[in-house]
Amino acid sequence: MKTIKTIGMTRREALKRGLAATAAAGGLLGAGRVAWADTLGDIKSRGELVVATEMQFPPFDISDNGTYKGVDRELIDAVAKELGVKVSYLDLPWTSVLPGLEAKKFDLCIAPVTITKERMKRYAFSVPIADATAALMKRADDKSIAKPEDIAGKAVGGQKGTSQLEQLKAFAAKLPKPVDIKEYVDNNQSYADLAAGRIDASINSLPNLAYAAAQRADAFALVLPAFGQATYFSWVGRLDDKTLLDAVNAALVKLEGDGTVATIQKKWFGQTMDLPKTVPEPAI
Amino acid sequence: MRPQVILHAFGYLTQAAGTTLAISLAGIAIGFLIGAAVGAARLSRQVWLRRLGGAYVSVFRGVPLLVLLLFIYYFLAEFGLDIPALVAAIGGLALSTGAYQSEILRGAFAVLPRGQAEAAAALGFPGLEIWRRILLPQALRISVPPLINEFILILKASSLVSVVGIAELTRVSMNIASMTYRPLEAYVGGGLFYLAINLCLAGLGAIAERRLAAGGAR
Repeated sequence: MKTIKTIGMTRREALKRGLAATAAAGGLLGAGRVAWADTLGDIKSRGELVVATEMQFPPFDISDNGTYKGVDRELIDAVAKELGVKVSYLDLPWTSVLPGLEAKKFDLCIAPVTITKERMKRYAFSVPIADATAALMKRADDKSIAKPEDIAGKAVGGQKGTSQLEQLKAFAAKLPKPVDIKEYVDNNQSYADLAAGRIDASINSLPNLAYAAAQRADAFALVLPAFGQATYFSWVGRLDDKTLLDAVNAALVKLEGDGTVATIQKKWFGQTMDLPKTVPEPAI
Repeated sequence: MRPQVILHAFGYLTQAAGTTLAISLAGIAIGFLIGAAVGAARLSRQVWLRRLGGAYVSVFRGVPLLVLLLFIYYFLAEFGLDIPALVAAIGGLALSTGAYQSEILRGAFAVLPRGQAEAAAALGFPGLEIWRRILLPQALRISVPPLINEFILILKASSLVSVVGIAELTRVSMNIASMTYRPLEAYVGGGLFYLAINLCLAGLGAIAERRLAAGGAR
């Protein structure tokens, strides 16, 4: 099993920080309440698990003409089946997801989030649901980039505050020519600027980029191999909902054992990936 | 540019435009009632009513709509007030636009010369009649253009209600952009829907203005 060594934070960390004040205010007020809520009991008695994510993160979360699709949808459906409950899905902007979790507007955040020590103090993480290792994507017609090192002297964009962007900075520092790193609020803007020619490559996790390049093969191509440290995406729950997270983790591990997870991975990533069976201890 | 992207998502966009329109109209209508009440309070002879109205305007015009929405939906939940997303969205829009509409209405009454009401009273018009037949028709006519302006602003500002999880037009355009990796087409599609709705609103405003002007000429 690989250990997680997240240099920076996850994707969307920057946006999350923007709302940190709201979340902090919520946390302070929430501290007065009785800990160890029985969310799992509530879910079972109402027969419904309420989850939230931002449906703008293909191939994990997609809103296809109003229908929720993607890796997270298929995984959570299988998990809910194990728990014997139905699922309802909320589509929230990322800025609202973690505050909404703390305000108990839903039970579980199924947006893929990377584990860090700082975050483990505030949230409970599930076992990993996907690989989050950093990779690069270029324009399909750009012959000047064949391997990651070829970005020396070029402009590369990525989402502000993500662990992938931090890994890019560390990687770029070792190259012979400086890399012009542009930080975006979200990955979709980085892709748009890549297509428009304002930057020469986009950094993100390998599963996200592989899917983007496959969807728009006319515009984008993957630059392999992936680089940096192995990192993983997990789901996030409230810290006092240990019973819920334990049940979700047990279901995820069972689904990995019976091949359900591999089938979902094959469908959306085009390949399978090994994932740790326990919540990894973050190195930072 | 591939127009097929917009055509493919046309049903999704239409549905989202319906949500945007419904939430905005509900917010504008409730906001008008709030605006009328607050505007009346600010024109009242009672000092405490004037102060109350003034405080309302200061608070809800001073707090950004985004913060107001987050407050209603997430912060009140901390006190056990679990407001449904739809109520939070319409309520936030109504509270905010109510403050602006009250100022538009107050302004419209304030420009009417005081002498008109005094002359009417001298001619023996009862108080309610002065209000109904002399002041209100003029004030409405004056306030229609700025009110339509405010309605259009609220319709566009309704894009913010996505923070409470409502799939309105801007949100859906973003969903389409991220799914298709074609942001230009998605936003052009969304933009065209906003333009169409707002042209209709402006048209209705023009009709209202003509009607009220005719009433004045009679």
